[in-house]
Formats: sequence, C-alpha cells, structure tokens
Amino acid sequence: MTSIGTGYDLSNSVFSPDGRNFQVEYAVKAVENGGTAIGIRCKDGVVLALEKLITSKLLKPGANKRISTIDRNIGVVSSGLLPDGRHFVSRARDEAADWRRSYKAPIPTSALANRMGSYVQAYTLYSSVRPFGVTAIVGGWDLEAEVPVDGQVGSGPSVGSGGKVEGLKHGGPFLYMIEPSGLYWGYYGAATGKGRQSAKSELEKLDLAAGNLTLEEGVKEAARIIYVAHEDSKDKDFELEMTWVSSLAGPTKGRHEEVPKELREEAERLAKKALEGDDDEEEKMEE
Amino acid sequence: MNHLPQAWGRPRDDVYGAYDASHLQTSGPQQHTQSPIVTGTSVVAVKFKDGVVIAADNLASYGSLARFTDVKRLRKFNSQVVVGFGGDVSDMQYLDRLLSSLDIRENYSTTETPLNAKNLHTYLSKVMYKRRSDFNPLWNHILVAGLEHENKPFLASVDLLGTTFSSPTLATGFGAHLAQPILRRVVPDEATVESVSREQAVALVKECMKVLFYRDARSLDKYSIAVVTKDGIDLKEDEKLESQSWAFAEGIRGYGTQVN
Amino acid sequence: MFRNNYDNDSVTFSPQGRIFQVEYASEAVKQGSVVVGIVSKTHAVLAAIKRNAEELSSYQKKIIPIDSHYGIALAGLASDARVLSNFMKQQSLASRLTYDRAIPLSEITSRIADRAQTNTQQYGKRPYGVGLLIAGVDAKGPHLFEFQPSGVTQEMVACGIGARSQMARTYLERNLDEFEGASREELVKHALRALKESLSQDKELTIDNTSVGVAGVGENFKLYEGSDIQNWLETTFENREGDAAAEGEGMEVDDS
Repeated sequence: MTSIGTGYDLSNSVFSPDGRNFQVEYAVKAVENGGTAIGIRCKDGVVLALEKLITSKLLKPGANKRISTIDRNIGVVSSGLLPDGRHFVSRARDEAADWRRSYKAPIPTSALANRMGSYVQAYTLYSSVRPFGVTAIVGGWDLEAEVPVDGQVGSGPSVGSGGKVEGLKHGGPFLYMIEPSGLYWGYYGAATGKGRQSAKSELEKLDLAAGNLTLEEGVKEAARIIYVAHEDSKDKDFELEMTWVSSLAGPTKGRHEEVPKELREEAERLAKKALEGDDDEEEKMEE
Repeated sequence: MNHLPQAWGRPRDDVYGAYDASHLQTSGPQQHTQSPIVTGTSVVAVKFKDGVVIAADNLASYGSLARFTDVKRLRKFNSQVVVGFGGDVSDMQYLDRLLSSLDIRENYSTTETPLNAKNLHTYLSKVMYKRRSDFNPLWNHILVAGLEHENKPFLASVDLLGTTFSSPTLATGFGAHLAQPILRRVVPDEATVESVSREQAVALVKECMKVLFYRDARSLDKYSIAVVTKDGIDLKEDEKLESQSWAFAEGIRGYGTQVN
Repeated sequence: MFRNNYDNDSVTFSPQGRIFQVEYASEAVKQGSVVVGIVSKTHAVLAAIKRNAEELSSYQKKIIPIDSHYGIALAGLASDARVLSNFMKQQSLASRLTYDRAIPLSEITSRIADRAQTNTQQYGKRPYGVGLLIAGVDAKGPHLFEFQPSGVTQEMVACGIGARSQMARTYLERNLDEFEGASREELVKHALRALKESLSQDKELTIDNTSVGVAGVGENFKLYEGSDIQNWLETTFENREGDAAAEGEGMEVDDS
C-alpha cells in the first residue's frame, strides 16, 4: 500500500490515482480481525457457524447471540465490527418487511442479497459516511412448496380458469457473502474473519458443488471447520454459535433456527476428536 | 356509452341527458371507508377452566350474496393466541398481515417470552383506536382468545371504534344478540368459568353456531372452531354443523319460504 | 493538533481498520467515576461512586431509574446519558402502552445500541461519550447489560466501568462463582466491595458518595442513597482492618 499517507486514503468515495478506494480496503481490515464466520450450503439446507471469542470472564455464557434471523427463513452471520453487523441486520429486516408489504410473500434469499449489496455499496459512495466494517454471510431456504400469499383467507375456486403451472421447481438452499465494497457472490461454502484462509481450504475439501452433503453432515463439518480455524488463536477461549435452516420436510421446517444444543455439543465433540486425530497423525509422520 | 367507468350501464346521453358527474368531483372533504364491503358475520367465544373456545363460520358475504364460502376468519398468532374477526374481510386481511409482521419481529429473538393474548389485545386496541381517530376505521369487531400470565384464560374484544370489552363469554355481530344470551345462561360470570369443562364449552359454542345458522341470514353451516389451552391451539377450519333440525320452522310465520 | 490523519472524525478508517474517534469516545468512559453491576438468579444490583465538583456542591447523579423494572448506571458524559435515558424512558413507556408489557432488557439495550452505531457511521455526528450498565428484571428474570460508545452491547454476569474499574472487575472475576446463588444482601455487599476496590487509597465509601440500585424478581427497581445505605456500608465493611483476610471466610460464616 504505497499510497498510504498521500492523502487519497483519508476520505471515503475518493479514488487514488491508481483507481482504488482506500477507505473500503481499510474497512476490509476491520473484518479480517473478527472471529471466523462460515456458511455451508448443503443439499437440504444451510448451516451458519461463528467462532465467538470470549473477551471477558464476566460475559454471560451462552447469551449474546450474534447470528440473526431475517424474516423467518434467512440467517445472517457477520464478521468485523459488531455494531456494523447489527446495522446490517436491522436493514436486512427492513428490506424483508418491505418486500412482504409489496409482494405479500417472503423475500427470496437472492433478492435480499441483492438489496443488501446495493445498500452496502451506497456506503462507499459518499464522503459523509464510512463503509461497513463487516463482511456478512447470508444463508436461507426459499420455500419449495406453493404457499398462500400473506393474508389469504380462502382457497379460491376449485374448478375453472386460473391456477398454477404444475411441476415447476422453485425454492431451495441459498448462500451469499456480501463484502464492505458491496460486492457479493453466491457460494457453496463461504468463510470470513480471522481464520478464513484455513476455513476456506477445509470447505474446498468438501466438494460442496457436487451437492451431496446433507444438512446434518454440514452441521458437523461446520463445527469442525470453526475448530480448525480457531487453531491459530488457540490461546483465546471461544463459544461456537451455530444456526441452520432446512427444507419444509427437514428439522427446521423451512425456518432459520439455532442448532439444538444436543446436536451442537455432539458436533463439537466430534470436532475436538477430529483435531486430536490430526495431531496424532502429524506426530506419526514426524516419527 | 363510452369506456369510462362512470358511463358503464348508464342510459345513452343523447336520449336521457348527460350524466351528472357532480358527485364524482375530487374536491370537498376527504372521505374514508363509509361501510364495509365483503363481510363476515358473528364470532362467538367462551372461557372454560383451562382455556377458551372460539368459533366463526366460513362465509364472506357481499351484501346479501353469500360470495365466498371457504373464508377462514379465525387466525392463529404464535402458538398461544387465536384472533377471530367479524366485519370487513379485506380489513381482516390487512390486520392478518400486520399481525404476521409483528410475529416475525417477535421471533427474531428466540429467548424472549412470546406475546400473550393480553399483550396482543392491547396492541390491537391501540391499532383500532388510532384508525378510528384518523376517521379511517378498520371495519372489524375482533375477539382475542388465549391465555394471559400464569396461564389464566383470557378473552376480550375490540371493535372498529377501539372500544374494548372483556367478559367470560363474548360474541360479535348477530351473535351479540342471539348467542350471547345462550352463552350467559351457562357461564353467567367469571366465577362460573372454573366449573366449565372443555367439552361443555365446545358443546355450548357449537349450539350457538347452530342457532346463528338458523336465524342469521348471512351465516353458513360450515365453520371454524379453535380451543386454546396451555398445551397449544387446536384449530379446525372445516367443521360442518351437525344434527340440524328445521322442524321448528314450520310453526314460525314469515320464516323461510312460508309467507303468511 | 491531531495524533494522526485518521482520527479527525468517525467516518474514517485507519489503515488498520480502526476508527479512532470511537476509540477516543471510549476513553471518555474511563474519565467517569466507577460503577458496578452484578446479577444473581433472583436480583440485579447496581452500585456507583458519585463525584461532587466541590465541597459545597451536590453530587452527580450516577444511577437513573428508567422504568419500574430496571435502571441504568452511567460512566462518562452525564449529558449524553441523559439523552439516552430519556430515549429509554420513552421506549419503555411505549412498550407498556402498546403491549401492556414491560420492555425486555435485551430489547431496550439493542435499541440504544442501534442509535449509538448511527453516530459512528455518519459525518457530523459524534459517538456517545458514555458507557452504561443496564440492570433489572424482565419476564425472563434478572439481567445486566453493558453498553459502550461504539454501540457494542453485551450481556454480563457482572461488570464494572469507569475510572480504575479494572480493580473492580478483578474482584468480580475472583468472586464470579458466588454471584448466581447469592442473596439480595450478599449481592449488594459484593457490589460495594467491588466498588471499594476501585477507590484510591485515601477515599472511603460514604452515604454521600455512594448509590445503590436494586431490582429483583417480584421487586421493582429502587434507588438507595443517603441514610438508606448506611446499614449496608456498615455491615459490608465492619471489620475494615482485617478486610483482606476476613473476606473469604466472612462469607462462609454468613452462609451457615
């Protein structure tokens, strides 16, 4: 970053001579120090997981949840400045409510990601604001079933014209990641925060594009990956926070919810075991 | 005749003179809803020792026309409250969406206690009163059935003026005249509620639905009925009135097809 | 006049991704006198040191009751706290009016957090220069939240903020396990002891410079000052000389 101190990095919305917006790059730095957050798109749902570093012994254990629900079927986990993450979530909820007011139906995950991408991008345009200091992972399940529109009271005529096209496939699991620049992509597996590099390489091993990983497996992989990503900051304690959203037929019935305690603890136990296993292997190799 | 709506079905100008458009002018005081359009009739409800029973038929009338016969006028709110709507159906749909957005907001946090029936009734009464104070009422009469703190049965109403009222038995619309006396015969006061069983309460409400079908021309023999207890909501939306007997009609002058 | 080019306002990130204006605002909290909060299974307690500008002036208010079920303790700019407390009072009343429900503490905390965040992302605004402890009892029992100028809020078991509050926090961490099952009286005493830890050597807790706020399950939030806290001060520090030694044992005796 040779241009630091030349004055082009002091204000948002200003390009440097080589075409960069430094304030956005600095915002990314804020993200890079946050706890690791990941999302996995499985064939029958999405898992979100977060490494929540314990900054004080006085914190109430298990409180201070940081993965949020948008509408009923979408989850957001972010890494970076906590208050900015809350701002992001609050706006996302407003967008979802706004969508419902217009269309009398829940917002598709793709549309939410698009709207939030635009919103975050707007905070790179003006010198009167600063960019978001968060990268947010948005995961949701768009309903696969034909649902009544909001406020519907009857079922309409049972005979005659009207009706739906049969056999159309819609809905399913979706995962997006939105960066401080407003840039967003769809993902099979997404990771951000301090341990993103090792998390990413673990995600890549899963061959998520094949679409074979089930939600239950995804939960266990997510827990393991957070534990792997935590290896670099082992001296600090952390809590694992995990949420998921499944199909209508699945365990959450299309809703975004916290992963049940028993399942999370089981996943954590397996994660710890897997880590110990790795250490053993390394030791053997050394021998 | 031209394509403009005010000309639809009008006699020809050249024969009968121009249409008097004076009542279509946009100036003058602004007006809001002056009457409901598509309406639902009675909602009846009664408390019993462990909860509340509430029912409403599945008819939406357009004036005297039985326009829609599968309209569900009992709405669940979270897993503890049922709201029954009488009056304008589109206003009911608006309120349903309003409650759904409230429910979404309430569910952002799973650790907080959900809104109970009393909370919801207070909220609805503020909405209704605000709208009537704007001279733009939501044309409904609403019953809220559920539980309040310590799982005590809760039943209260709010109408289009924002008037609130609570009683161990409640009925809206025609039911206020026809069902309420029947309900009160069994549950005259709050003290009696303790001695009423679930079965008694359900039978009582069904009896009321039958009387209402006999005597209310804007009613239907298909209805929804819900029982709210601490174990949750048991909502049936496709019930049919049983053991009807129209024998009594014979002896009543002016009833049905009999003219005198 | 500035330490560097990146600390002029709250809309500029430093190359490390820090926002200096927000960090400086957190320093304002450390200028304020210390406040402490603790929760047990049944109660939430706030305790605070009040300062006076001079001998003959009154003492600065440190604990503000907001609604009947909770109150706040502040460290930092008192006028910023007043703005926030007015907002909290208004929101709490609105909850009672529209839902006939005492506002959940997590809810009111997140509302002021969202307000505070706005001040850190828009030019022409400044972060709040005050930290708050929000303590009370709602439908889910007793709670204690910490609020920081950055808009960060956290639910705590115990917390201390303000000048020299590290000493108080050390005390709280050392006695952490005892809070959950502590009685109302024990909790107040813990809070007062934690407060005392943060006091400089030549200072004492007196009925004039100390405030205590208590809320409990089935008990409204109440502020105690002046002669109302005489008894607590006396019983908490009765054997002041043998303080260090008697501390642990003394409480064992109380239990039996």
